[in-house]
Amino acid sequence: MNGFEQVPWALIAPVLVIQFILAIVALVDLKRIHATNGPKWLWVIIILLMGIIGPIAYFIIGRRQS
Amino acid sequence: MTQFSVLLKKEFLESWRSFKFLWIPLVFILLGVTEPLTNYYMEDILAAVGNMPEGFQMLFPELTAADILLSTTGQYQLIGLLVLISAFIGSISRERHNGTATLLYVRPISATTVFASKWIIASLVSIISAVLGYVASMYYTAILFGSVAVSDFVKMLLTYCVWLLLVMAITIAMSAAFQTGAAAAIAIVLLPVGLLIDSAIGSFWPWTPWKLANHGLSFVTETVVMKDFGMALLFTAIAIISFIGIGILATKRNWRLTKV
Amino acid sequence: MTLLQVEQLTKSFVGKNVVDKVSFALEPLTATALIGPNGAGKTTTMSMIVGLLQQTSGTVTMQGVLDIRHSIGFLPQYPQFYPWLSALEYVEMVGKLSGVPARGLREKSVKMLEYVGLGDVLHKKTATFSGGMKQRLGIAQAIIHDPKLLLLDEPVSALDPIGRQEVMNLLKEIQQQTTILYSTHILHDAEKMTDQVLFMKNGQLVEQGSLVSIQQKYADPKYLIQFVQEQDAANFAMRYEGQLDGLYVYLPAQQPMQQVLSSLVAEQKEIVKVERVTASLDEIFMKVAYQ
Repeated sequence: MNGFEQVPWALIAPVLVIQFILAIVALVDLKRIHATNGPKWLWVIIILLMGIIGPIAYFIIGRRQS
Repeated sequence: MTQFSVLLKKEFLESWRSFKFLWIPLVFILLGVTEPLTNYYMEDILAAVGNMPEGFQMLFPELTAADILLSTTGQYQLIGLLVLISAFIGSISRERHNGTATLLYVRPISATTVFASKWIIASLVSIISAVLGYVASMYYTAILFGSVAVSDFVKMLLTYCVWLLLVMAITIAMSAAFQTGAAAAIAIVLLPVGLLIDSAIGSFWPWTPWKLANHGLSFVTETVVMKDFGMALLFTAIAIISFIGIGILATKRNWRLTKV
Repeated sequence: MTLLQVEQLTKSFVGKNVVDKVSFALEPLTATALIGPNGAGKTTTMSMIVGLLQQTSGTVTMQGVLDIRHSIGFLPQYPQFYPWLSALEYVEMVGKLSGVPARGLREKSVKMLEYVGLGDVLHKKTATFSGGMKQRLGIAQAIIHDPKLLLLDEPVSALDPIGRQEVMNLLKEIQQQTTILYSTHILHDAEKMTDQVLFMKNGQLVEQGSLVSIQQKYADPKYLIQFVQEQDAANFAMRYEGQLDGLYVYLPAQQPMQQVLSSLVAEQKEIVKVERVTASLDEIFMKVAYQ
């Protein structure tokens, strides 16, 4: 088993940062949008807890157009 | 011309303000870097999660940079395309359905400008996403597996962009021709499902547009057959023009379906 | 000089004519109300005039011209806007699409929005707009290009009484410079702003003319006499062949009023009032719709 210090952070960190940005973008959009399909709080949970799937699901299904 | 630039700006603003220029590239970048990372650390990941029996040895094939680009492309051709189709399949049908199109359609604009503006912006988002995704993937691949010739990589990238022009021509044309749900179903059958079927049974005809991305990859594996590549490129161009034509006709024909 | 000429306009869906040989003309700077029960074909007629729907046969011309999209403004019953555009951005965009010169468009759009009462929310996204605000924005987008003809589909039906009053006042002002055709089923509104009335029923234009001429045709003038005693009313109705309704008696208005009065004097009965009554637009509408 590798030690914590042996995890290649230089390579992993950008991935985590991008995931983080994606979640933030989704949350910002959720905050600004007038109406969503389904309750907003549910989307907050989905965006935060479902990894990369959460924001994608929000942008495709959650945004109500018009 | 004014009409066209106004509609182009409108489509750009819509994609911009709904963060499509941000979140779709981010998804492609994530998909792109995940492939080299998981492949490189597969052994460690398996060792960490699985309780391997004492003395168990697994053989991992020596992967090359081209192999990683191949598997990244596999991700884009399934997940990437599904994301792109979902993001743009409502372009025309949803505007008709919710009635926003009504106030535009009573003005002196043509179906051609409506379709073209949507196709161009959707293609722009797709191409930016794919280029950033591939560049990120290549960066990680170069660190972990080694590099490929820059010119081959660029050729592969350009070929993929042409394929994306077709993907969006089909997506927007289906949106023009059908309601959103049906359009999505048909676009998914034509694109990701079509790719699977073509790769399963289509080994006799090397020229189908579905094979264009593979021909692009053959630049980096240095197995390219220029004649087949040229044919696939030609048929893709024909398909793009055909679907644009279908899309414009369908936009015009379904003008009346906008909710009043 | 006639502004808009609609001739034999017909739309068939699966063999049924939902709009059947409708012909009418609009004179410049007049307001025309298109009236009829639900399903009469009002919206279909409007959709064909604005070019959303291709007619099966017939023509729509504006002073001889067939493509009239540059010269019309249209407001559907429930206008829908892009939630990601502000009111000002929207009006500017559609202004450009309708060919308003870019120079001065910004100022014109601001003025237009102030005119319809949206001066405070120029930069607000339309997603947050109420029904009344959307209707005002709908009017602004319909007149930003100074159309010769403004078509409105049920412009006030979705509004509350105050909003309705405000929008009607706005339309009356606009009518000073623009010909208006609007559909409605709220006859009270039609009575306030109408030079011409078109009655539609089952896809056909069953009656048309000026409000005055239609009122004369269907007015069916009567004398209404209200008695104090029901018995008196009944006796009077019997003797003079009137129509009895409790304390009220209706007499046909052929005879001069003096004659009615003198018969009343002769009877020596107590009465509350004598009145000459004509049918309201509402009653005329019912008559036309169910004749």
